[in-house]
Amino acid sequence: LTDRLNREKSLTMKKAVLTASDSDHCRTEEAFASEDESEESSSLISEEEDAENEEMVRKRLPKSSQEGRGQKLGPEDTIDEASDVEDIFQPEEDYKEESNYSTETSGTLKWKEDLSRKAAEAFLRQQQATPNLRKLIYGTVTEDNEEDDGDPREELGGLFRVSQPDRECK
Amino acid sequence: MATPTHSLGYAGCNFLRQRLVLATLSGRPVKIRKIRARDDNPGLRDFEASFIRLMDKITNGSRIEINQTGTTLYYQPGLLYGGTVEHDCSVLRSIGYYLEALLCLAPFMKHPLRIVLRGVTNDQVDPSVDVLKATALPLLKQFGIDSESLELKVVRRGMPPGGGGEVFFSCPVRKALKPIQLMDPGKIKRIRGVAYSVRVSPQMANRIVDSARGVLNKFIPDVYIYTDHMKGPNSGKSPGFGLSLVAETTSGTFLSAELASNPQGQGAAMLPEDLGRDCARLLLEEIYRGGCVDSTNQSLALLLMTLGQQDVSKVLLGPLSPYTIEFLRHLKSFFQIMFKIETKPCGEELKGGDKVLMTCVGVGFSNLSKTLK
Repeated sequence: LTDRLNREKSLTMKKAVLTASDSDHCRTEEAFASEDESEESSSLISEEEDAENEEMVRKRLPKSSQEGRGQKLGPEDTIDEASDVEDIFQPEEDYKEESNYSTETSGTLKWKEDLSRKAAEAFLRQQQATPNLRKLIYGTVTEDNEEDDGDPREELGGLFRVSQPDRECK
Repeated sequence: MATPTHSLGYAGCNFLRQRLVLATLSGRPVKIRKIRARDDNPGLRDFEASFIRLMDKITNGSRIEINQTGTTLYYQPGLLYGGTVEHDCSVLRSIGYYLEALLCLAPFMKHPLRIVLRGVTNDQVDPSVDVLKATALPLLKQFGIDSESLELKVVRRGMPPGGGGEVFFSCPVRKALKPIQLMDPGKIKRIRGVAYSVRVSPQMANRIVDSARGVLNKFIPDVYIYTDHMKGPNSGKSPGFGLSLVAETTSGTFLSAELASNPQGQGAAMLPEDLGRDCARLLLEEIYRGGCVDSTNQSLALLLMTLGQQDVSKVLLGPLSPYTIEFLRHLKSFFQIMFKIETKPCGEELKGGDKVLMTCVGVGFSNLSKTLK
């Protein structure tokens, strides 16, 4: 877990580097962060998933990912943002670690929740997805037969039955 | 059969064979109106007239009335007689068109049927004689129609448009059929095939075999495709080539696919390599559809289940073909039999398309015209 947290930290650092580019604000961990950048897009994606519940990061995410896609390490043109980033950064990092920790532990057992409800939903989905072949082939046959049997006008004097040929099929 | 039934009425030219075959087996007369009534060339086509003539030959006492334009047909079936018969089929459809109906009727004749059919043995529309030989005959055996006299032989091969082929078919008669329980399709054990060529270079068949094996050998080593090059009078009147493939499973199910070259003077020339490759892919698709009976024989299997003893028959089929669906509707109107149809979604272990489990209780049909010895 500590490894993971470290990685998390480094990823957030990377984000800062991405936005702040190569201006010299990046303090002690700059070496560490730039090292991590070599992981490139794969780590970027995982971070995007992790940061869902993280307000500040979410706000910045589109911006940073755009830059990431556009030119990876957006160099000179983002320098003006750098000072803002530096201020916001420190508290945000702590908060993020905490929240990630909690979601991770609950996530391990999440699939066990509401198993019976999920099974019921899957069953209903299956029922609706499979077509009723009998109905497709024979149509609504049972109703037709009932109609034929229940027709009283075909009896003559309560004794004879008028036998009529089947209606012409298509 | 014994009940004095009124005639069934239909409109349109579709499913003529089904209707006549079921009418003959159930003994109910049929009246079919509006056969291509709005067509520029109204009425029955040559191949349908030839089929009606064939029905007349194998039955005794049938009454057939056709109006002057051929748009209305009344058919009152007689008894299935059988015996030794010869018939010249129309070259518009292949012998498979006639043979499919004969396969349904032959087990219920008074005398064992021995018939020589002349015409087109392989075309692009109907199941060829080779495929029916490899798939329908094993299916008949499952129902207890098994004897040395069950035979289907290509004497001469004829391709469209000229025809000139000849086929010999003989089938024993049975008083009653065995119910079947075919639930396990099994796994593909081996693949066999026939690559035929007539009035073209014999090398064509080898080229077909090479390309078909190129596709199939990736999946299974046991692939053997026979080459069948007929010469002289046995080669019919038109050139052509083609391939039919049959996959046999561990539980004795046969799945088939086939392709034939374009008839002479129609369509672009086909490369044998393309034909072989495409046919192999069609076989793979048929295997994907799967089931215990392949899609050409679905209706035959369902008919023989219906006509079985009063016992439960079950069969697992691949997706139902449109022809089979209409056949089920006809079975209901002629025999009042409705199948229980259950969809079986393919699980992890059963790969391929969705399967359908068909269950019915036979009507207890027994062959009354068969002489007892």
